[in-house]
Amino acid sequence: MAAKRQETVLEVDDLSIVYRTKRGDVKATNHVSFSLKQGEAMALIGESGSGKTTISLALIRKLPKNAVITSGSIEYRHNGEIQDVLRLSKRQLRAFRWKDCAMVFQGAQNAFNPVLKIHKQFEDTARSHGWTDKQAVRERALNLLELVRLDPERVYDSYPHELSGGMKQRTLLALGVLLNPQIVILDEPTTALDILTQRAIIDVLNDMQRQLHFSIIFISHDLSLAAEMADTVATVYAGEIVEMGGVNDIFYQSLHPYTYGLLTSVPTLAQEQDLLQSIPGSPPNLIHPPSGCKFHPRCAFATAACSQDEPPLIQDFGAHLAACWHKKALAESREERVS
Amino acid sequence: MASHSSDLENARVNSPNPVKYVSDFFDRYPIHKNYYLRIFLQALVTIWAVMSFTFVLVRLMPGNPVDVLIEQILTQEGISYQEAYDRVAASFNIDPDASMLDQYVDYVGDLLRLDLGTSITSPGTRVIDEIARFLPWTIFAVGCGFLISFVLGIVLGMTMAYYRDSVLDHSLSLVSSFFTGVPNYIWGLLIIIGPGITWKWFNVGAARGTYDPGLTPGFNAEFIASAIEHALLPIFTYVLATLGSWMLSMKSSTASVLNDDYVNVAEARGLKDRRIITSYVGRNAMLPLFAQLSISIGFVLGSGVVIEEIFVYWGFGHYLFQAITVRDYTGIQGSVLILSSTFVFSNLLADLTYGLLDPRVRITGEK
Repeated sequence: MAAKRQETVLEVDDLSIVYRTKRGDVKATNHVSFSLKQGEAMALIGESGSGKTTISLALIRKLPKNAVITSGSIEYRHNGEIQDVLRLSKRQLRAFRWKDCAMVFQGAQNAFNPVLKIHKQFEDTARSHGWTDKQAVRERALNLLELVRLDPERVYDSYPHELSGGMKQRTLLALGVLLNPQIVILDEPTTALDILTQRAIIDVLNDMQRQLHFSIIFISHDLSLAAEMADTVATVYAGEIVEMGGVNDIFYQSLHPYTYGLLTSVPTLAQEQDLLQSIPGSPPNLIHPPSGCKFHPRCAFATAACSQDEPPLIQDFGAHLAACWHKKALAESREERVS
Repeated sequence: MASHSSDLENARVNSPNPVKYVSDFFDRYPIHKNYYLRIFLQALVTIWAVMSFTFVLVRLMPGNPVDVLIEQILTQEGISYQEAYDRVAASFNIDPDASMLDQYVDYVGDLLRLDLGTSITSPGTRVIDEIARFLPWTIFAVGCGFLISFVLGIVLGMTMAYYRDSVLDHSLSLVSSFFTGVPNYIWGLLIIIGPGITWKWFNVGAARGTYDPGLTPGFNAEFIASAIEHALLPIFTYVLATLGSWMLSMKSSTASVLNDDYVNVAEARGLKDRRIITSYVGRNAMLPLFAQLSISIGFVLGSGVVIEEIFVYWGFGHYLFQAITVRDYTGIQGSVLILSSTFVFSNLLADLTYGLLDPRVRITGEK
């Protein structure tokens, strides 16, 4: 599933976002940079409150009113044209949303207007982007609904409350790709669904991506989902990307103690119970974040240096980027544990 | 297999089952499970209860029109009590000594023939004619006031929610709380005392009635203009008195809808603002207000009694007020019956139409 065409569709550079609150500025995103290639699936993983959703909301400029983007740029590339998402006018932004970059929100339970039938909401979306041929919209929508393994005719003519949670989630996926977007952002696409429905959604997503060739950014704390879906994985901690690389590098050769901690806190079938560990402590206060490496108060490898200097996100050991002073020590410890 | 076919045999022999008992009938035709029939019957029972209650209540009021009239004739003409009594009984075409039960049976019997009886105090006039004469004016004034107030309240309420915590929102909130707090009759009095008497913006005397005297009611510009002019003050009062609560309800309802996921998703879908405001925010925010609408129609019709009296607007409320003053039993009964029927049927209508607006409460089949 590796990206075949290497054109970059999205380039995020040095993005920082703060939420202005009464108690102070919450530094939700700090100097985040990454790029997304065409057809690539990238996973943002991390705990709740780590800033994953903030990053994704910034991509379509749908941040809450008290959020301020303090630095950085988001470049969207399509057909040789480059658009700076942060500088789009209101009209351009409206056109950009959904047609170029669609976002399937967390928990689709209330994503549909309860008083309009599903077909109305598909038509609304199409018409707002200049596609007024209802018959053509209907054909495309029925195809997509079939692709997400729903009964197309029935769902298309239903009210949202007549669909189950899993059906709504899949309908929203179909709606998400209606306009053939370049990028689809999926925020926790399987949370709040039962295990069978989760499975179905994952299969559907893989199918769709194979057929429609869009890029995916998906946000999850479900590592198994990331392992299955993603080409690239980025670990987000305290609003920073602390590790980023190919899916195998991250899962088998992780170089950041936080990623490593996330991985060892997931039970596997083959593993002894006592090898299961959790990360001590809780996510840091983002109004007054810790000095140096933000993970150091919870880190087993931390030394005095960690609390003073922030490690850069670089590739100096192993095949991928990680921001840690003790990559070597981590790698050695991992070897020991496995053997 | 064998038992199956014998079942079929039995069914054929016994069918159709004769209807022996009432319960058999309902088993075969489950009309008691029909939602529409049920709420319609409920409405009729409610009206019957109100009607009976009014009937008794009116007769418990101090002051009896028959006695009053007998007294009057006695002092005016100096005839014997028996003579006066007979005359009054004859002119009322009722037996004043009939028991309350007999009167009730008579009354209900007449009602079933849609006969509201003749006025007790002005013999010869049929109550139904009087109501037909006065009611349209009230429907016109209350209807206009209501429509204006509802539409204005929705627009202003939504505006407040969209510009939440702005100066506009805070000042409109203050104004609407004030409007809601002041009762409608106070508004009526203030309008007469302020613009009417003190500043003389309009002629208080000429504003009386429902149209200028001398005009013939009909479909001509002069008459319509005059009718609107006379209704203006009551309409304005109804708007002032009800606008605030519509604004506040719409504001809170819109504010909660704006936080709903589907509005957020609609924006992410790149829908046009106008489409989001009307079909996504507006339509959902209005749902709870429609339920209120039907209830307030009854209230406003009732409060019209005082407002119409203040502006001397000759509508239904004016008629009811007069009937109460002179203890016109049949007039009061008829008016209250119409009033309560309006209330009950507007609720019924709301029940029936709400499903059209909100598919989630639409009745599907038996329930």
